[in-house]
Order: sequence, then C-alpha cells, then structure tokens
Amino acid sequence: MDDRNYLPWWRLDNAAKIFPSTSSAHDSKVFRFFCELEEEVEPGALQAALDKTMGQFPLYRCVLRRGWFWYYLEDSPLPALARPEGLPPCFPIYPSPRRSLLFRVLYYRKRVSLEVYHVLSDGAGALDFLRALVCEYLRLRHPEAGLPAGGALAPGVSGRQKEADSFQKYYEKPARRFGLPPSAYQIRGDRLPRNQLAILEGRIPTRDLLACARSRGATITELLTAVLLRSIHDGMRVRDQRKPVAVTVPVNLRNYFPSFSSRNFFAIIHVGYDFGKNPGSLEAVLASVKQGFQEKLTAERLKEQMNSLCALEHNFPARVAPLPVKDIVLRCANRMAGHAATASFSNVGRVSMPEGVEKHIRQFGVLACAGCLQACAVSFGDSFVITFASPFRSRETERVFFQELSQLGLGVTLTTNVEDEVGQNAVL
Amino acid sequence: MRFCKQCRVHVEGPLRRCPLCQSPLSGQPGENAYPALPPARKPLRLPLRLAALATVAVAAACAAVNYSLPQTGWWSLLVVAALASTWLVLGVTVYKRGSPMKAIVWQLGVISSVTLSWDLCTGFAGWSLDFVLPIFIPCAQLAAFIVAMALCLRPAEYLFCLTACILAGFAPLVPLLCGLLGVVYPTVICVGISLVALAGLLLFKGAELKDDAVRRLHL
Repeated sequence: MDDRNYLPWWRLDNAAKIFPSTSSAHDSKVFRFFCELEEEVEPGALQAALDKTMGQFPLYRCVLRRGWFWYYLEDSPLPALARPEGLPPCFPIYPSPRRSLLFRVLYYRKRVSLEVYHVLSDGAGALDFLRALVCEYLRLRHPEAGLPAGGALAPGVSGRQKEADSFQKYYEKPARRFGLPPSAYQIRGDRLPRNQLAILEGRIPTRDLLACARSRGATITELLTAVLLRSIHDGMRVRDQRKPVAVTVPVNLRNYFPSFSSRNFFAIIHVGYDFGKNPGSLEAVLASVKQGFQEKLTAERLKEQMNSLCALEHNFPARVAPLPVKDIVLRCANRMAGHAATASFSNVGRVSMPEGVEKHIRQFGVLACAGCLQACAVSFGDSFVITFASPFRSRETERVFFQELSQLGLGVTLTTNVEDEVGQNAVL
Repeated sequence: MRFCKQCRVHVEGPLRRCPLCQSPLSGQPGENAYPALPPARKPLRLPLRLAALATVAVAAACAAVNYSLPQTGWWSLLVVAALASTWLVLGVTVYKRGSPMKAIVWQLGVISSVTLSWDLCTGFAGWSLDFVLPIFIPCAQLAAFIVAMALCLRPAEYLFCLTACILAGFAPLVPLLCGLLGVVYPTVICVGISLVALAGLLLFKGAELKDDAVRRLHL
C-alpha cells in the first residue's frame, strides 16, 4: 500500500527505550559490523545491493521521533546511501541536527561496514542485515558464480516476524523487581580528544582458540572474559581492589526464546571477580567465570531479568510520565547501571554465509561505542576477531589482554586505527 | 605483514611500532584498515564565535559608556536585553535548523514571549497584545503552511507543528476577553483566521491528525 497519508510507525522495544535518552557524543550507542572482502569494494554495486536489501528490512527505513510519552520509530522516505567512510567509527547517529536513518552503510578499500544505532536493532539483527547486504553485493559482482541472494538467508521469515517486539511476546508480570548489581571498579584515565575511539582488532585462528578454551574445560567466551578480567586487574591500583572487576556480557535471547525479530532482543549479565579477596591466576578467574556463566545463563534467570526490566516499562506512573521527565530519570538510571560495570565483552558468535559466498570474504568484525572499554568478538571461518573500542588514551588493558593470549600460544594479528608516530594519542 | 618480537604478535597496516608495546616492528608494511580522517568541520562554529565575541564587546562598551555617563539613564540595560533577545531567537533558529517546521513553532513561541516581555518591561503600553502578536501569529501560520507545501512534506511531518501554530492563534482571545486590548481589530482578525484554518485542518486532514495524535501520545 503506497498511501502518502498512511505512515507506518513502531513503538520502541523494551531495550531500545533507554538508548535515545542516554545517547551522547562520548556514548553514541552505535555499533559497527564490518565485513572484509577479498576484493576492493565497488560503490555502485554496493548501492544497488543496499537498495535490494532495504526491501527485506522495512524497519531499517525509519527515523526516530519524540512522542509526548515515548520515543517511536516512524517510516521515512529518506534514501539509504552507501558512502565512503568519512566519519570516526561509531560516530553518533542520534541526536543529530538533521533527521536521518538510524544506520549507515560505509565502505573503505575491502571493507563494508554497517553502523547501527542500538534503538533499531541488536547485534544479531544487524548481522542479519549485513549478511543479506554482502550476499546481495557479491551476487551482483559475480553474476557468473550463481550465488544466492540475500533473501535466501532467512527463507520463510515474514516482515512481521522481523519487526516483532519479542520482549512483549515473552513478558510475564514478575514476582520480584529489578535490583542493581553492586558497584564495580571503573577504569580511569585521560580520554581521547573529540570523543574518538581507539580501535584495536586482534585476529586469532578460531580452531586454536577453541582448542585452548576446551583444554581448560571452558567456552571461548568464558576464556576471553577471564583473560579480560585479568587484563583489567593488571592496571588497577592496590587501593582500587576493594571493588570487584565486573564485565557485562550481552546475551542473545533468541537462543533461549524462539524469535526471528531483527530488533533488540538481548539481556545483559554481569560477570565479576573480586581480586582483593581471591587469587588472580587464570585458573582461579576462569573457574569463577565458568560458575558465573552457568548460574546466570539459564532460561529461568534470563526470563526473570527480562521480566523485571519489562515491568519497569509497564509500570503505570512510568508510562504516563512526560518524555522530558523520562529522559532525566533514564539518564540517572543509566549512570547508576554504568557504575556496576568496568567493561563490556560481547561475543556475537559464528557468522555463517551461504556456500559459494564464503570464499569472497576474508573476515567479519564488530565494535561498539558505549562510553567505556568495549570488547566485541565475532568469528567467521577460521578467523576469530576480537575488537577493542576504547575512549581512553591508555591501551594497557588491551596490551595485557593480547600479550596473555599470545602467551597462551595463540597467533594474534593486530590491526588498529591509531597512528604510531606520536605514540598513542593520534587516531587516524 | 609486520611482526613484534616482544609481544609475539603480527601487525597489519603501515605501523612502524607495535601498538601494544611500542617496540619497532620487523617485516613489510601493509595497508590501512581505517581511513585517515581530517578533523570534522563545523562550518557555523567560527562565525558564531565571532558574533558572540562582537556581542560581548558591544555590551561591554555600552555598559562602560553608560557607567561613565550615569545622567543619561540606564539605557545599556536595553542594549544588553536587545542583544540577548537577538541571540535567543538566533539560537533557536540554529538549533532547530534541521527541521523548518519545528523552527517556526519555536520561533513563534520565543518571539512572542520576548515581545511580551519587552512590552511588560517598558511600561506595558499594550503594543505587543494590540498589534505584534495578532499580526505575527497568522504570519507564522502562513509560513508553516508554505514550508509544508514547498518541501512536499507528508502530513505526519507537518500536522503537529501546523496545528500548534493554528492553536496559538486562539491565545490572543485571553487578553481580548479580559478587556486588556486598546485596539481589538487585529486580534479579531487573528482569531477569525485561526478558526477558519482549524476548520480547514479538521475537515481536510482530520483523520491524519488523529493518526498523528495516536503516534505522539501512545503510552
């Protein structure tokens, strides 16, 4: 239906509701997925592929608007354009002086990047979009190979299923309300100028990493979380060790509650370790992390957490509070929640691409801006890419992290956006 | 690809030193994975800063002259208030430059308030209520209508702002009914125009207006 007067709109999902109020220049709530191809990107084909992909993801053709009580998404005629990379990574999308779509498609040399404002989608949803885009692009670039189109990635999934708010679907009124975890150690230090992010990517052979984790009876996420906790501890002052180091780990709820939504559907768990009271060896930290994951990664616990967060949204006084009041309250809540986390680690998992497409792709990667140290990981084939995005000048945590992985016998290949001529202060 | 013997890591890109330990790297350099970006341009920043500096200079000069010649009255206060009013209106316009419809509504609110304040602070001769507001509000309504048509905006993009401008046209009824006006004709015409505009809006765009209200007021 192409009625100029009919305008599709969508309520924000539960997780998205906090992002517009808390986005700022240093905490843009924008994340980036990139796909590095084996060949230079051809802009014309990328634009054509983007135009086709937009048809499969109608929610991506929307802008964020302020209502009187809540923000909402509204369909927009703005064109989606593939542009050369000309802004710093994860540059804010909202608020912006000009209304724009809530994502960007960028290219630079062999890389196609998709930057998404978290209001629109979480990592899993955005990855679906990027996979469809890359499939479509490679099909256009290599018509002779008979590659599958992007639409083939999720056959039988309707537009409604992609747009669905799965938080609402699984919400049940909880018996217990939400409580904040205890406050955690905060990384201090000078920040980079102009809210820039220092990016450091480390590529590791997936097979070796998996073998390393299995030899310790752990998963890759557990091993890397333990190494990250130890790396943060390395930079702590003795008097800071009164507080535990806590890493937030987003969990894809689609793995626990069936959903094909390309919107937000995740929960966050806190995995902490008190270095002041416990030994700091990798074995000890890993054992604690494994126990933490086992306790928190159950459908019951995740549902409990999801329900308690959704309950806040369903609370009547909260619903009828005007949006400017909500903005202030959510900003305070975000600051309080921020005190409970030292850093964040998100493992998106394995990216699969259709047969025939894989040989044209070198690696996938992901990074995010959330105002604190962020580590994100994604694997494709035998390439496991961990990307640190840090607003700080110092990169001691990253140094210790990758040096420890190297000492574990893993081959690490680094890429960064930081120039070396003037030390650690210049970002490309 | 380059290699750091210290950290035992490979490094891609043109770096000459290890990004972890700053030791010199061995091996051949590669290509950047991220583009070198020039600092972001902020085109309005320099003119605005110059204008702000000029404003402060003028205000300071007037205050100094006025302080030296106290027998001339406190006219520098008026100069400072005029400069502040100009900046307020300019600020709103710059801040809302991405959305012309919102800019009109904000300008309507700010200019009306500033005009009323000036009238009240200068002895309340009533010129703001008699003439300025009843003339300015229909002008804002017309401007909103022209912008909406000229930019081919969709109903959802202009209805809320246009409705706000039209409803503002009924505000002069308050001083009219309270008997505060010396000259009533401009106010009567303003309210009449607003009434016709509201009727037109409801008759032609009533359904869209309802949709817009549902979107904006959803709980």
